[in-house]
Amino acid sequence: MVKDRNYRHSIQIDRDKCIGCSHCMRVCSTQAIRIVEGFASISPERCVDCGECYRVCPQRAIYAKDDGLASVHDNACRIALVPSVFIGQFPSEYSATQVLKAVKAVGFDEVFEVEQAVDFMKEAYRAMEQKDHLRPLISSYCPAVVRLIQVQYPSLTHHIMLLKAPHDIAALYLRLAKEKEGLDSGKIFIYYVTPCAAKIVAARAPVGESVSPIDGTINMTEMYNRASRILWGEKNPGLHKTTANMSPDSVNWSLSGTEKHYFTGRSLAIDGMENVIEFLEKLESGHIADIDFLEMRACDQGCAGGILCPGNRFLTVERLEQRQKKLQRLKERDHDRVDNPLMAYSETLHSLSGVEPVYPRDGLLLDDDMEKALVKLQRIKKLLTYFPGFDCGACGAPSCRSLAEDIVKGRASISHCVFVQRVMEKNYKLSPDQAFIVIEKIWGKDRLNKYNDSNANDA
Amino acid sequence: MRMSYNIEGGDFSAAGRASSEVKRTLKQFNISPLVLRRIAVALYEAEMNVVAHARNGAMQVDIQPHYISVVIEDEGPGIEDIARAMEEGFSTATDEVRQMGFGAGMGLPNIKKNSDRMMLTSTPGVGTRLELTVNF
Repeated sequence: MVKDRNYRHSIQIDRDKCIGCSHCMRVCSTQAIRIVEGFASISPERCVDCGECYRVCPQRAIYAKDDGLASVHDNACRIALVPSVFIGQFPSEYSATQVLKAVKAVGFDEVFEVEQAVDFMKEAYRAMEQKDHLRPLISSYCPAVVRLIQVQYPSLTHHIMLLKAPHDIAALYLRLAKEKEGLDSGKIFIYYVTPCAAKIVAARAPVGESVSPIDGTINMTEMYNRASRILWGEKNPGLHKTTANMSPDSVNWSLSGTEKHYFTGRSLAIDGMENVIEFLEKLESGHIADIDFLEMRACDQGCAGGILCPGNRFLTVERLEQRQKKLQRLKERDHDRVDNPLMAYSETLHSLSGVEPVYPRDGLLLDDDMEKALVKLQRIKKLLTYFPGFDCGACGAPSCRSLAEDIVKGRASISHCVFVQRVMEKNYKLSPDQAFIVIEKIWGKDRLNKYNDSNANDA
Repeated sequence: MRMSYNIEGGDFSAAGRASSEVKRTLKQFNISPLVLRRIAVALYEAEMNVVAHARNGAMQVDIQPHYISVVIEDEGPGIEDIARAMEEGFSTATDEVRQMGFGAGMGLPNIKKNSDRMMLTSTPGVGTRLELTVNF
């Protein structure tokens, strides 16, 4: 069986800040997080880089590792790929042209709005529809959803559309256009300003491609701070576009609900990790039939809700809707014409836009060997009868079930359960000192020193 | 490894719970995703048959290293003519059930298509027993 064992991730834990509080562990949709020796620890074969843990960390100890502005080369043609949601982070008095100019001033030779590649995506969807394929086809747009399917829904991987994302298409176009201008391809560096961690991983360790056309990723929050400083200093209103450089609704592609209109038949747009999971669960069980296309985004409101977007997602959505109207007016004024230079390369791009099939990952597997896996499952069932079943998390695992799985995989022991521990102490199977050591192995050294008996009088 | 689930007739809102549970368990094994999907579909259809036609039933699952064998038994009207029931498009589902999107007469043929071995026995007025095996 072909498996994808490429487990690189962007989501990281800063051990200087992490206090092992377990907020992240409780929200992880794939149960990828455990608390070990006082720190959160992420299991690479289960993590899908959705960033739900990042949202809830009270210590700001979780970060998305990107390449950063420091990685931008000096002696080269540096191009920043900016998604429309970045422009939507700024109040409407700043025009798109002005925001893009500010990004350029941060240190790039050129700036390109990713959504210009969406006009091509629409064509690619039409071509895709002609082909015979499994229904429903699941959009490959959101890399966190693609990875979630690989980890949790192995039987659905072949429903994923084998198409590159718009920012990859934009990068391919820019490379083609620059080479045509006579630039050495080795001197072109393309950086993507990313709204999320999943897209960082998609650029670093792509699924279905050997290398990504993106050379580096830059955290949107970092770019927001740098561009804001430049915009704040500007007294005069910025320039506006005079022609529509993409079809108006392309600007909303990264939000939830635009993509689905470009697939005929029954199409659904689903956003938010929990909603996506609920739907995939039903789809995999065969409860849902006759759907032709699924647009799925890990974040609520799509990329406007990306973990690295500093602004409010609902304001971002509204601003992009306003931009769509502006582009519509420009288009109408220009005799319904859209002047998108990328589309001149559409034929070449079609030949480059595909990706290799997507394969499942091993995240849920108990054992490669079926007989061993069955024995492990029996043990899990048995262990579950010993545990309280209310998922208190005191063992450093998100649920009793997860602890049982960890035990059969040799990653935890039964005494990690505080309820079992009490019984063991009562029956003299475990000394109080040993119990202390167990707790410290999970929650870190000196975690139990905060209280001593002399404090009792104060309380 | 054995597991067993109750299925309540007429509870359409809960329909699919047992088959989902089995599917979730199987995902922990090194089974081809295509086989997994076949099992999921066959069990869901079988579970739906109980929900749509019977008063109550049970699903008994036995997972072995090379195959899964499932028995779905119910107390209900039973099937008068099994040969006809196996025909695509044949259904005795009430209009009410059909309006909910079920009862297209594809259930049993679909179960057969997705399993490696299937045996259906029924006593009209008493109940139905469906046994199916899928090899890994």
